[in-house]
Amino acid sequence: MSESTSQSVTEPKKGGHGAPAATHAPAAGAGGHGHGHVEGQAHLAHHFDTYQQQFDAGKLGIWLFLLTEVLFFSGLFCAYTIYRGMHPEIFVYAHYFLNTTMGAINTCVLLISSLTAAWAVRNAQLAQRKLLIFNIVVTVACACTFMVVKYFEYSHKFHDGLLPGPNFHPTEQVWELESFKKKHPEAAEYAEHLDKLGEERAHRKSAAGSADATVTGEYERPTEEQIEPLIKAGLIGPHAEDPYRISKPKNAHVFFGIYFCMTGLHGIHVVGGIIVWLWLLKRAAKNEFGPKYFGPIDYAALYWHLVDLIWIYLFPLLYLIH
Amino acid sequence: MANDDTPDTEASADADKQPKSQQGPSEEQPPAHKDDATAPTPKLEPTKQDEGDADERDSDSDVSAPAPVAAAVADGHAAAALHADHGLAHTMPIWMLVAVLGALMLLTILTVSVTNYDLGSQGNLVVGMVIATIKAGLVITFFMHLLWDKKFHLILFLTAVLFVVLFLSMSITDRGEYQGNIDLYQNTTSAAAK
Amino acid sequence: MASPSATADVVAPRSTSESENYLTHDKGVLSWIFTLDHKRIGVMYLCSVLAAFALGGFFALMVRTELLTPGRTIMDHDTYNQMFTLHGAIMVFLVIIPGIPAALGNIIMPLQLGAKDVAFPRLNLASYHLWVVGAVFMLSSLVINAVDTGWTFYTPYSLTTTTAVVPAAFGAFILGFSSIFTGLNFIVTVHKLRPPGMSWFRLPLFVWALYATALIQVLATPVIGITLLMMIVERTLHIGIFDPTLGGDPVLFQHFFWFYSHPAVYIMIVPAFGVIGEIIPVFSRKRMFGYKFIAASSVAIAFLGFLVWGHHLFVSGQSVLAGTIFSAITFLIAVPTAIKVFNWITTMYKGVIHLDTPMLYALAFLWVFTIGGLTGVFLAVMSVDVHLTDTYFVIAHFHYVMMGGAITAFMGGLHYWWPKAFGRMYNEKLGRMAACLVFLGLNVTFFPQFILGSRGMPRRYYNYLPEFQSLHVLSTVGAYTLGVGFLITAFYLVRSLKNGRIAPANPWGGVTLEWQCSSPPPYYNFHKPPVVEAGPYDGYENLMYDEKIGGYLPRKAKSG
Repeated sequence: MSESTSQSVTEPKKGGHGAPAATHAPAAGAGGHGHGHVEGQAHLAHHFDTYQQQFDAGKLGIWLFLLTEVLFFSGLFCAYTIYRGMHPEIFVYAHYFLNTTMGAINTCVLLISSLTAAWAVRNAQLAQRKLLIFNIVVTVACACTFMVVKYFEYSHKFHDGLLPGPNFHPTEQVWELESFKKKHPEAAEYAEHLDKLGEERAHRKSAAGSADATVTGEYERPTEEQIEPLIKAGLIGPHAEDPYRISKPKNAHVFFGIYFCMTGLHGIHVVGGIIVWLWLLKRAAKNEFGPKYFGPIDYAALYWHLVDLIWIYLFPLLYLIH
Repeated sequence: MANDDTPDTEASADADKQPKSQQGPSEEQPPAHKDDATAPTPKLEPTKQDEGDADERDSDSDVSAPAPVAAAVADGHAAAALHADHGLAHTMPIWMLVAVLGALMLLTILTVSVTNYDLGSQGNLVVGMVIATIKAGLVITFFMHLLWDKKFHLILFLTAVLFVVLFLSMSITDRGEYQGNIDLYQNTTSAAAK
Repeated sequence: MASPSATADVVAPRSTSESENYLTHDKGVLSWIFTLDHKRIGVMYLCSVLAAFALGGFFALMVRTELLTPGRTIMDHDTYNQMFTLHGAIMVFLVIIPGIPAALGNIIMPLQLGAKDVAFPRLNLASYHLWVVGAVFMLSSLVINAVDTGWTFYTPYSLTTTTAVVPAAFGAFILGFSSIFTGLNFIVTVHKLRPPGMSWFRLPLFVWALYATALIQVLATPVIGITLLMMIVERTLHIGIFDPTLGGDPVLFQHFFWFYSHPAVYIMIVPAFGVIGEIIPVFSRKRMFGYKFIAASSVAIAFLGFLVWGHHLFVSGQSVLAGTIFSAITFLIAVPTAIKVFNWITTMYKGVIHLDTPMLYALAFLWVFTIGGLTGVFLAVMSVDVHLTDTYFVIAHFHYVMMGGAITAFMGGLHYWWPKAFGRMYNEKLGRMAACLVFLGLNVTFFPQFILGSRGMPRRYYNYLPEFQSLHVLSTVGAYTLGVGFLITAFYLVRSLKNGRIAPANPWGGVTLEWQCSSPPPYYNFHKPPVVEAGPYDGYENLMYDEKIGGYLPRKAKSG
């Protein structure tokens, strides 16, 4: 039968290219449709005729799955785009609360893990078992580092009251944050000043009943340049909750809702990836992968690269807002 | 002999006549061929670098096997499908992997440092997205192997992106159109609340 | 296929109910739960989908019974909301979307292709188990406090209602993954597992239809996944994406929801087109007219289906600009659909029509689907839609296409491939009678609803003006007729499993590959991959009816 013939020719040909054949050619032909009992015919599923067909099918399959993942995240990117387009002040306001350094560390960590994942594919193709195991371990380690950093970030947020929805009660005012003060020192000072005045005004208002307690001329107006960051962040002006006082923009929690959804869903995918890599680590240790069968490593690496890709977009969109 | 084109052309002619259980490999050959002709070194490189590292000398890495090659070439047709791919698929050379990582790191540093400059209300976003897309392009082309893969996979990926763009653009267009109504509603309710 | 000697399976295929086949291959419940055989997975899907259909149908009868009188008939208004929600959710997510692809497609598609199995058998099994898990979650909502939002889960009501929205939405989320994995599997199968000679334009139209459907499943379903997830998160954590009081946008939910749900209706109908494309040529003993156009139109419909979701949002607050764009593109979809209908009719012209049960369903489909499809074009006109949206006109439209389209085709396919899958013939008289009853019931149920809708009867309303009552009663009578028709069908189909005549390999004289193997097929489908030398509708003239076996045989074998 033509199928068997092609299979029996397959093994030695591959052996000649530095892609080692862990098999002995003549025995391979007897397998026919590959019931997995002949050495070298292992890992050829019964419904495939050749290793190439099996590999190609798996490759197409994983690319289709990646498509679905892209569309899965698209909903969140859509929500992000719409809200940022309609309420840029919320995004400017909220991004000061995020730690850019941690985000950058996570980016680098994921990029390194992408390298080791791609390298692992190469190792599997060349049947370099020890190096394959090493690269998978490094990938998993990077992934775990990512999750640890994420854990720190999330716990900071919980601690600082930066939760979605009605639970959004930041413990620190945005102009008190290091990131804001560093970037806009004059605006920070002015904001503190305004805030104090606002408090005094509020006291007078409550003391005097419903009497109008507007005070004018009590402070020197700074330059436009100085207060521009405050306007951009929706702290004063029409988007602030209280237009007469320095306060946060209306519905500022929406950013954190989107932030937690996007990074949370991404984090779940990282954890899923870790589980897959650990399973593959076990199989790699059992020396299951070689030049005729390295599909699982390849497919897992593709998935992992997608996870990295999504983070490549998440990082500037969430952390690097200007 | 392994790099020579002639056995492959004979073999591929044979391959067309005999029924194969999948159309894939014969279609795949031309692009893989080009890869062979233009960059023969990647195929050999793995062995050189592998020899440098004693740990990698697994019993499985039977690198030198010229005899079976000759026998297989004599056998003919289906061998060609795999010959051009040196195995089931192209193997990434290490220098390429590391170089791509280097580029990605540089771009990351660039994208962070750009935020120190004010490029206008949309400028930073655009620059950030452009840099992110370049990084994404590098990951997709090299790490995800699309440069050496079937064109169909690229088409699939671009289709997904196209649909995302479609989804986003219609939703944003629509939202932009009725944002006025939302603002009116929110202003009147907040005014009423006072 | 035209030269049977090329297929190495059997020269004169015999029925093999007694001998080894995929049903008898392995025994025990576990051999079914852990099977990797696409045929067994398809059979499990079939049983599950039909059970869900019965449940959804029960809720439909509840709804229709309540509507016999204005005001309270048998239940209160809150329960009524739960009834129509459950009817819709079960029918959409558990029955029609998986229906033809997962049940019939799984059993038949690899056989038609000439493959040994689908590309990823374990993923196929996972798809089925995910269906079961999704069904459990969805039905748990029934038990806890049945959801009452309508199957569309519109915000903000779905965020504030006290009914069990989260289990139902989560169930739908899981069912989405079941659908995605099936689609993924089918795409790779069609690309990679075709035997020698099976080029793209020799694929049977059922396979083309399943391929186009799979493309939609893979691209559209993830969006409903993220939408439901966001809705669940919004409901539990109040993040403020869809809730207007928290700064969210409820129309955004509708955009997200319909970006999937419109392509979803094409997931429902395109496989039905495929089934009809199988039945009509065989029962007209004639090759399909315009094969390439029908294949291309399946893909065209799949693509265009992604561009029209806004026609569900005409009165939601969506801008007129968007509405205009969506309206115009919706008109376009009528074109490839009409191409199909005309080609089918032309196929029948000057053919030798055999009015067996599958053909009766196919003919019913042509009539009913055309009405349903055309009324869709009425609704696509924005100015008309302003009056007809959220009325019974819409309900009549989609039931004509879903019930009269998808379910009728499903029934036709079920009867067409029943002998192949189970090795038994059903009672043809009862089959024809039930088909007529179903056709009658369908029209009596839903045609009055067009009238009701255009006269202003709103949908999902428990109470209504007395002037609508007579039409409602008529509709309910039709619904019960439908129910009887389906009960009869269930009766004779189940009975045929034990008492039916043993089926020959090719009872209807089809020339596609699945008729080359025995009925039921052996576990391994084909001894050797069949070599395909002709198109899927060539070779009727090479088959002759043999009275003894009650089926068709290749002429050579008979004379030889």
